[in-house]
Order: sequence, then structure tokens, then C-alpha cells
Amino acid sequence: MSRAQIRFFSLVRREVNRFMKIKRQTVGAPLLETFLYISIFGAALGSRIKQLDGIDYVLFITPGLIMMAWAINAFSNNASSILQQKFQRAIDDQLSSPASPLELMLAFSLGGFLRGMLVATITFIVSFFLIGLPITHVFVLAAALFLVGFFFSQLGVLIGVRAEQFDDVSFAQTFILQPLIFLGGVFYSASLLPEPFQTLTEFNPIYYMIGLVRFGFLGHSEVDVGLSLLVLTLATLALAVVNHRMFVSGYKLRA
Amino acid sequence: MNDPIPAAPALPPDASDAPALDVVDLVKRYPTGVEALRSVSLEIAPGEFFGLLGPNGAGKSTLIHCATGLAQPTSGSVRIFGNDAIDHYAEARLAVGLAPQDLNLDWFLTVEETLDYHAGYFGMPRKERRERTKELLETFSLVDKKDERTRTLSGGMKRRLVLARALMHHPRLLILDEPTAGVDVELRLELWHYVQEINEQGTTILLTTHYLEEAEQLCDRIAFINAGQIVAKGSSEELAAKYGTSGLEDAYLALVGRSELSRAKVMDVEEAVS
Repeated sequence: MSRAQIRFFSLVRREVNRFMKIKRQTVGAPLLETFLYISIFGAALGSRIKQLDGIDYVLFITPGLIMMAWAINAFSNNASSILQQKFQRAIDDQLSSPASPLELMLAFSLGGFLRGMLVATITFIVSFFLIGLPITHVFVLAAALFLVGFFFSQLGVLIGVRAEQFDDVSFAQTFILQPLIFLGGVFYSASLLPEPFQTLTEFNPIYYMIGLVRFGFLGHSEVDVGLSLLVLTLATLALAVVNHRMFVSGYKLRA
Repeated sequence: MNDPIPAAPALPPDASDAPALDVVDLVKRYPTGVEALRSVSLEIAPGEFFGLLGPNGAGKSTLIHCATGLAQPTSGSVRIFGNDAIDHYAEARLAVGLAPQDLNLDWFLTVEETLDYHAGYFGMPRKERRERTKELLETFSLVDKKDERTRTLSGGMKRRLVLARALMHHPRLLILDEPTAGVDVELRLELWHYVQEINEQGTTILLTTHYLEEAEQLCDRIAFINAGQIVAKGSSEELAAKYGTSGLEDAYLALVGRSELSRAKVMDVEEAVS
């Protein structure tokens, strides 16, 4: 390995090490939460609702829950990790190393990305065996999950760098991210909503992400898959550019 | 710390006669308008033991942060062994080890991981990292603590670890920002012995401290910084002569405008009272 590769790998290793050291909180808790959603909404409500858009209710909600697990874990990992290191000034060790702004930004992003991927993968494997969750469009699914994971990783980096206290992170997660995800159609089909909520849902970007992931798993979608992928790609790239500029300028990282 | 201190590995040959640290017209102005550094120029020769003294808030740490990438200078240049340390900093950073004033250790990491990751950030291969970690754990008497998380360490142990971390990647310029603040006498003396040893082996040292007798004893040259400006530099004898005093401490007191605190004057007052 070259020096640059060792450096990058070490930066990523540190981020993975952090969440694996507290895996009950960072991996165990989100898994439990996801399976509680599946049990409560899928088993309890599913027995009444039976099917949505011709799909078993428990199957209908699981793709959205997998996406939600990846998104929230990617976001909260990166935001918390960066803020905690800023508090302790431990981040100075990375900032004073030869690592470039791009390497730092990508390494911090990958920590949350990998945590989200781990939780989502375990959820999928269990769902596959328990409820027979299929994969219908593997390439769309891979692209959609990759983009969703990377988008929320970047969002976590952005909030973590800008945050000055833990309240800033929890505000973003509790008052912005979670409502958008829950109102994006994880548990229902937007077509069932009365106006103006149906139209309002179309302004929620998470609605399109859930639609893409649901299409990848079940082959069913209310959104334009090609257009959604394109917009998600552009949004992810735009966020990465903003974050990169932040690391170059040292905004809230360097004095 | 264990004795004898293992020899530091041979330093890479320096092709040029470039200064270890070359700061030219460095200005750091914060968004609040506070000017922490006002056109600071400073040159430290390779192998030198250099002291930077000044009152709190004089600009010592800001100067160090500008040299190590922790602060973005407003203008001016910083070169380390001839390499730009501001814009194209990769080579310059490889040559610098920083032991900061704050004990900025990552609570999630163990002692061993702290050293290993740091070396990884500087691109050291695994085998080299392991050997260097073992060597420094022994040198700084941290072997028994290697699997403990950093937050469980005592203040003295944390200070040792911060210094060991700064040395992991074999820096040619070691920057010590008040390394003995709050440590006991024994550890302070151990640290100085080690730092003197590596200085004799060729490592350039930049030290900031409030212990003037240590600066006088250890440093080849000293600079006084006050209100963001280098106001005097030279050997401790030269500084004493410049301020017309008998020693470095009195020269420093003259610099900060507190000559009435001079030990000689205090003793005169005590004698007059008795």
C-alpha cells in the first residue's frame, strides 16, 4: 500500500473502530428499533391492512425501513463522531496530518456509510429469511442504496462540522430528518393521502428515495425511477462539493 | 521513563540548508477582528533547541497552529525544512510532530490505538507502526497501560502519551506547546531528559513554556513574543543584556512590564521591612 492509501485506510479504520466499540448503541439499538417497526406495523397493522398497492403490507414497509436504517445511522454516526472529536480537539490529530481535505471528508463520510450499510444488510438478511423480502431490480437497488447512504453520510458530515453542541445534531435529526422520513411514505402509499398532503409529499425528497429503494426490492414504485436516480445523484454530488469546500476552508474546524 | 533511552532512528538526510522553521511576515486575524499575529518573522535552524516565550494570549499557540495546519494564516508564509506548510503542506506536515498544550486525546481509543492511528495518518506501514509503538510505549512507561482507554489515564500519563504520539512518525521538528503544564517535578525532569536526548540526535525542538529556568537551561535561542509580535530574540544572555537585567526571568518581567516582581527587588523590599 502507498503512504496515501495507508493514511486513508487509517482514517476510515478510526471511524469504524469508534462505532464498533459502542456497537450495542450504534448497531444493536438501530437493529432492535427496525425490527420493532416491522413487528408492530407489519404484524399488528398488517393483519388489518393486509395489502397496499397489491403488496403484502409487511413487505411494503420493509424496503423503507431498510432505507431509513441506513440513512439515520449514516447521518447520526458522522454528525456525532465529528462533533465529539471537535469537542475533545482530538480531531486536531487528523487535521495536522498530511491528509488532504478530500481524504478527510471521504473518510469521515465512510464511517457512517459503513455503519448504515451494516445495519441495513443485517435487516435485509433477516427480512429475507423471515418474510421472504425479494430483490427485483438489483442494479437500481444497489445504486439507490449507495446514493442514499452517501447522501446521508454527507449530510451528517455537514451537520457535524457546523454543530457547536450536541443539541444541534439532535435538532437536525429529531425535528428535520425523522419527520421527513416518516412523512416520506415508509409506512403508507402517498396515493392514499388526501389533498393537499399528497401534493406536499411530492416536495419531500425522501419520498423519492423510498420509492427508488422500494422499486429495487419489490419492482413497485410511485416515482419516476430514472429521474429520481438522476436528481439523487446530483444532490449527493452537490452536498459532497459543499463539504469539500468546508474542509478546504477549514470552516469550524481550523481556527 | 525507562533508561537508557533508545536511539532515535537516523533522520532523513536534509539535501538543502533550509531552516527547520521559516516564518515570514505571518499575520493571523480572526473574524472578530482580533489580530493574534502581527507580521511575525522567525527562523529556526535545523538541530536547534528554540524557546518561544510570552505571556498568555501573546500568540505562541496561534503561531504553532499556523505552522501545523490547525489555523489558517491571514497572510505570510511558513516553510518547514524548505517545504510550504500552508497550501501544499504534505511534505511539511510529515516533518513536524506536535505535542499540544491541551491533552487532546480521543476517548474512544486505547493508548496503543492512539499511537497506531496517528502513525497511520502519516502513512507508516503496519510493521513500522508496531515497532515504533512498542518502542515508545517502553520509553514513556506506558506498556502496562497500552490496552486502557485514554480517558482512564492520569494527567501525567496523558501528557506522556501526547508526547509519544507526537514522536510516532519520527518528526524532524518537534513542537512542544507548554508540555510540562500541570505535571509533577519527576515527570517534568524525565521529559526534559528525553527531549534533550533527541535534540542531541538531531531533532529540532520548538518549545513554549512558562518555566523560564527551563527555557534558559535547555534552549540555544529564545524569542519573546508579545501582543502578536516577536519583540526580541537571541540567547538568554543576549536577551538579559538587551533588557539590562541579570537573567532571563528579569528580562521577561521587563518585557511584560512587571519588573517590580523581580526576585531581587522583592528581596530588597523584604530586607528593608525586616
